[in-house]
Amino acid sequence: MQTIDKGALPGLFERLRDVFATQRDFLIDLDGKVGDSDLGITMNKAFTAAAASVAANTADPIGKTLQLAGMAIAKAAPSTMGTLTATGFMRGGKALLESAAVDTAEMAAFWRAYHDGVVERGKAKPGDKTLIDVLGPIVASLESSAASGSALPDAMQRATDTAAAALEATKTMVAQHGKAACFQEKSLGLQDAGATVGFFIIDTMRGYVAQDAFATKDKIE
Amino acid sequence: MKKFLNKAEDFVDEMLEGIYAAHPSQVGYVAEDKRCLVSKNLVKGKVGIATGGGSGHLPLFLGYVGKGLLDGCAVGGVFQSPSADQMFEVTKAIDQGAGVLYVYGNYTGDILNFDMAIEMAEIENIEVLSVVGNDDVASSPPGQEHKRRGVAGIVFVYKAAGAAAAEGMSLLEVKRVAEKARANTRTMGVALSSCIVPEIGHATFAIGETEMEIGMGIHGEPGIRRGALMPADAVIEEMLRPIFAEHPLGAGDEVAVLVNGLGATPKEELYILFRKVASVLKERGVSVFHAYVGEFATAMEMAGASVSLLQLDDELKRLIAAPASSPFFVQNQV
Repeated sequence: MQTIDKGALPGLFERLRDVFATQRDFLIDLDGKVGDSDLGITMNKAFTAAAASVAANTADPIGKTLQLAGMAIAKAAPSTMGTLTATGFMRGGKALLESAAVDTAEMAAFWRAYHDGVVERGKAKPGDKTLIDVLGPIVASLESSAASGSALPDAMQRATDTAAAALEATKTMVAQHGKAACFQEKSLGLQDAGATVGFFIIDTMRGYVAQDAFATKDKIE
Repeated sequence: MKKFLNKAEDFVDEMLEGIYAAHPSQVGYVAEDKRCLVSKNLVKGKVGIATGGGSGHLPLFLGYVGKGLLDGCAVGGVFQSPSADQMFEVTKAIDQGAGVLYVYGNYTGDILNFDMAIEMAEIENIEVLSVVGNDDVASSPPGQEHKRRGVAGIVFVYKAAGAAAAEGMSLLEVKRVAEKARANTRTMGVALSSCIVPEIGHATFAIGETEMEIGMGIHGEPGIRRGALMPADAVIEEMLRPIFAEHPLGAGDEVAVLVNGLGATPKEELYILFRKVASVLKERGVSVFHAYVGEFATAMEMAGASVSLLQLDDELKRLIAAPASSPFFVQNQV
């Protein structure tokens, strides 16, 4: 798939929905170690609502459809992570208001806006052991792929590899935000739960663009 | 814990059911969500004003939805922010074609969700601006006002902005008035006992029988100084000192005063406090244009009080003097 057009969007969101349904218990366990273990439930609700919103939206172009999917997430999952994810899709959608289809440059623009929205709303810095620590490297990778004219499937593969390494690196960080911050040193050695969500999203998009058979790994150890 | 309750988890919703049953001609709700409270007296073409915040502070926040005041309020759990979506639903309902102003207190969760609601409103082409209340002098030093909590002084911002919108001012003008009222307001609080969150069931903090804490927040956030309870006059002198230090008021200045009970302090004591506030202001040559004494922003059953001063100019005098009415706040033309 060289571009994602409006017709391909419902399929992508079905995958996202299924991934977060499959990973629900994994995220509950991960979050439960340093948080209040609602992350798996939140994300499952978030993408169930987003997929329903995209499936029902036949009228709007791609950018507005993504914005409205973000609003559906905000409604279904009003926790911190739900709100940050909603912000990401609303800002990402806003960046694509003029677009008819998403190629590498537009994918980079989507993730740039997603990242900037999460930074602005969540007020986290790189190294704080949050979602930002995966989003930043994703954006850098996609922007470099866009600059060199890479095709979308290659760009998504590189971005996902970068995100996997970035997620691994969160194990060496100490949490500074949210409930995990109360555990501080205890969070050392664990991958950040929010950053894991970011990885799942980019990996799902990669799989969809590559037209992989749907088979998400059960766990990311 | 000794409270009138059925189930602790139903505290907020049953409170709201009571309010809707008691005041059906004044307030209702939208989006089939009791926590999206909207005035029954919306005015076409008027700037809408919305607020929101956690429950446990009545009359704050929803008690100021009424004529000459606010148009809607998103209601959160006890001491918890309402969701962005609830704010957005209130926004849609109260927009009467002239845009919407958010006026709310400076708390992380509320900022996150109100900012989110602004983005949602933008997608629906509703213009929204916001003014964040930060009147609590105790919560950060001068120069760091942006970190200060919003407490009882927000009532002055509601009153001024509400009257401005009722006069027919534009969204930008109502925002300007709200910002002026905010800039001219300072509050200091003192707590004598803790609040109890129903779902938690025990006191939020411990404080000795004979102790007070100057500068404590309305959720029990730590204050500036804890010590032995002093005579009322000395308490007021200590509370007013930091206000005057950064906002010197003197001969010829005019103020509105709000002496607010935090929930468990009787009105008699509030008037004993007001008596001293009035005498300190008189000594400085400051005249009191209007005084509010009672409960305006509480912290469940916390005993204690706060004093807010609003320095007035001609415009703010006119707006403070204007009549207003809600289920919780009634004022004749001053």
